Amino acid sequence: MQNKKRMPLARTALALAVLAAPALAAEPDGETIIRNNCLACHSETGDAEAPFSRISEQRKTPEGWLMTINRMQELRGAQISTEDKRALVQYLADNQGLAPQESESYRYLLEQDTNLVETGVEEGLGQMCARCHSAARFSLQRRTEDEWKRLVEFHMGQFPTIELHSLARDRAWYEIASNETAVELGQKFPLITPEWNSWKAAPKADLTGRWRVLGYVPGKGEFTAWMNASKSETGYQLQLEGQYTDGTQLAGRGTARVYTGYEWRASIEIDGVKMRQVMAANDEGSAMEGRMFSTEAREIGGELMAVRDRGEAEVVAVMPSHLRLGESAELTIVGQHLDGDVSLGEGVEIEKVIERDGDSIRVLAKASGSAGARTVSVGDASRDQALAVYDSLARVEVSPANALSRIGGNGGEMAKMRTVYRAVGYAAGADGEAGTDDDLRLGYMPATWSIAPADEVAAHDKDEKYAGMIDAAGIFTPGDAGPNPERKMSANNVGRLKVVASVSDGGSEVSGEGSLLVAPQDFVRRVLD
Amino acid sequence: MNVNKSMKTSALAGAALLALQALPASADQEFLLTVTRPGQLQVIDMATNEVARTCDVPGKFGTGSIAPSPDGKIAYVLSNMTEDVYGFDIQTCEITFHAAQSQGNIRVKTHQSLAVSTDGKELYTVQNPVRHLSDRFEVMQPQLAVYNTADGTDARPVRTFPVDRRITKIAATEKGEVILGGADIKAIDVKTGDVRMVTALQSWDRGPQWLPPDAFAMHSQGEQSNEYIMPYVTAEFQDETMNMETAKWWWGISRVDLETGEAVRQEIIPFEFIIFNFISDPRDPNIFYGSFNTLSKHDITTGETLALYEMPHTYYDLNITADGKTIYVGGTSSDISIHSSDTLEKIGSIQLSGDMSTSDLRVATIRD
Repeated sequence: MQNKKRMPLARTALALAVLAAPALAAEPDGETIIRNNCLACHSETGDAEAPFSRISEQRKTPEGWLMTINRMQELRGAQISTEDKRALVQYLADNQGLAPQESESYRYLLEQDTNLVETGVEEGLGQMCARCHSAARFSLQRRTEDEWKRLVEFHMGQFPTIELHSLARDRAWYEIASNETAVELGQKFPLITPEWNSWKAAPKADLTGRWRVLGYVPGKGEFTAWMNASKSETGYQLQLEGQYTDGTQLAGRGTARVYTGYEWRASIEIDGVKMRQVMAANDEGSAMEGRMFSTEAREIGGELMAVRDRGEAEVVAVMPSHLRLGESAELTIVGQHLDGDVSLGEGVEIEKVIERDGDSIRVLAKASGSAGARTVSVGDASRDQALAVYDSLARVEVSPANALSRIGGNGGEMAKMRTVYRAVGYAAGADGEAGTDDDLRLGYMPATWSIAPADEVAAHDKDEKYAGMIDAAGIFTPGDAGPNPERKMSANNVGRLKVVASVSDGGSEVSGEGSLLVAPQDFVRRVLD
Repeated sequence: MNVNKSMKTSALAGAALLALQALPASADQEFLLTVTRPGQLQVIDMATNEVARTCDVPGKFGTGSIAPSPDGKIAYVLSNMTEDVYGFDIQTCEITFHAAQSQGNIRVKTHQSLAVSTDGKELYTVQNPVRHLSDRFEVMQPQLAVYNTADGTDARPVRTFPVDRRITKIAATEKGEVILGGADIKAIDVKTGDVRMVTALQSWDRGPQWLPPDAFAMHSQGEQSNEYIMPYVTAEFQDETMNMETAKWWWGISRVDLETGEAVRQEIIPFEFIIFNFISDPRDPNIFYGSFNTLSKHDITTGETLALYEMPHTYYDLNITADGKTIYVGGTSSDISIHSSDTLEKIGSIQLSGDMSTSDLRVATIRD
């Protein structure tokens, strides 16, 4: 494994030495790959602006292009080598991708964080499109109007009963899809946009370097790390070293590619577990945000952020991000090149500096004064709202508020799809009332987890007994797949549950709940849902 | 909804069993037809409730749609992912007919729509063609295709006529029309292609107090009463604000008399549970039976549920003997559940070699 990973580096060095050619020219040219692999069906148009039929009339995310090529292989008999396929996704995402502004509202889909109820979906598009797949799925594509119409034809040909579904058979579905929906999509998500034109012309940041990384691994907790990204033929070689909040070390190695100049995609093996990183870099290439999840089980993951080491002092975060008035507690300031006087903001006394170096400062602190967000500074570096000082915990939000888990295993083809829960605390804010706009977000808090039936019907069906269980780390594992003779009509272990988080605060318990649907297996594993 | 609890007496069930074993009044032979996965036509003798024979259906499972010939001897089965129709002699399993509807780069799917003319000479399908061009699909106009049943195993349509999209179940009338069940119920003249409205459903004009209906038929319902039933769900609002919360929800039907081609549309019972298929009692057009998670019996003149039987699993469809005494509940899984139409008590069951999933449950009658 390690030998393999060193190889490309050696080859790059060789290429540089011998050819003095551009370092990243190792992959074949995208247009050549299209000519060699796609023209059995697609045709050359003769138009330099849109040289290939259909292909040139669309823009998509890297995952979107990957799905397309997968479909061409699986359903249309396309033959393409793994190397060419990788290079083609890279070429298409780079040249026909989405600008950062075009993807920013739908990053959850790319991050495989699908436990949310999409909001703001226009009703017509909701009924015509998002009744089967996410609204993000089409919102992350740009096409000409004709190409949106061809997508309708594709749906009709590929899924012939689509016009017979509920919410389709009660209307002239095909006519509406072709004459109204496709036109609307062509206006809402057109091929050519000012955002893309300007992003395509903009210089792209080189993401080589050292990154201060903060993340969360379900079952293990939050971690801080350093990640080194060095150039390789096709992207970056990665090395990651850090520790979880309980002091356990973590280490990993992997590779990353950057698509479209900002879409960071890494495969990294951390302590023997294969993980994926999906992040978006900001325009300057100084910070990235996204999610890291298990390659095997995409639902097992957590937030991930990376701040580049630019040789300057920077406060990245305070862990935990909250401090109760009048209580002494340990806090860790995470950052880089931390040097100089430490301040946790107004009224927060540092009782003791337990340990410090340039990367982190661990202190014992006690807060007084009024509740509210504090600016944390070390020397010249500071971060606003890095610490929430609060009087009492007013409410607990279960995240995700709405989730879907799927039964599996039991000898069946699909693994169980679990759900990862975290509890977010809030203080009531200045108005003293919880649940209002001025609530103060305290950040993630440790919680005790339990499940309960969602309502009387779920209680009658004993959903809490059959549908699964939640562990101390907030990971819900659904029940086994298959009919269960113990249940009414031998139903499988589906259910509707409440997931309850209980957080201790100053001697009292505050709880919040989320809604969980435990559903049957989804036998299609899509790149994007 | 515990209507039926007091009716579950062994005496009634025993009487039903006796009735089932009694000799039929005529020597007509009734066969129950269904298709099981991976691809078998099951021919069940309804006198003995035994599988008389199992015919292998070529091609990948379609949806199990079946149309028996009027003489009961041939069963037309939709197969090959709903692209091909095979005709089987149900007494020998011999394949007497085959139509491969897809040709060249045009792929044709049929959504359940199979019917045989009342003289048995023509087979009708509704074709939904899509042209597969090299880098795109092109959706084409659906059409009624007319085949001569005598054309054997390489049959091609002898006539075609354009029809609406979204047509599922069809049936031939004695007037030379085919009933097209889609968003609305229409009838097409199979000689001229002229189409007339039979029952407006999606396009009904009943004012703001009625929700446009959700009408859908996947299975043939009503053949033992020589009728075509299209069920629908609608809401009756209290006023023009169309408040779904306070609306009254109904099951409705359009029932077409296959002798005359005339139809009646009416709301029949309140929507209290899901019924996937309805049939009427051949002895009494006002008595309906429905199946899904329950087998139920209704008087549609009063909207009353007369009996209800909780099924051990979901059964999509049902059919009934010509004498109206025995109900067969099937589809979904691999067993057909047999019930007395009087009490709905279970009086028997037939285990098949595979799941019926979406397949039809049709009756072919070979007359004396």
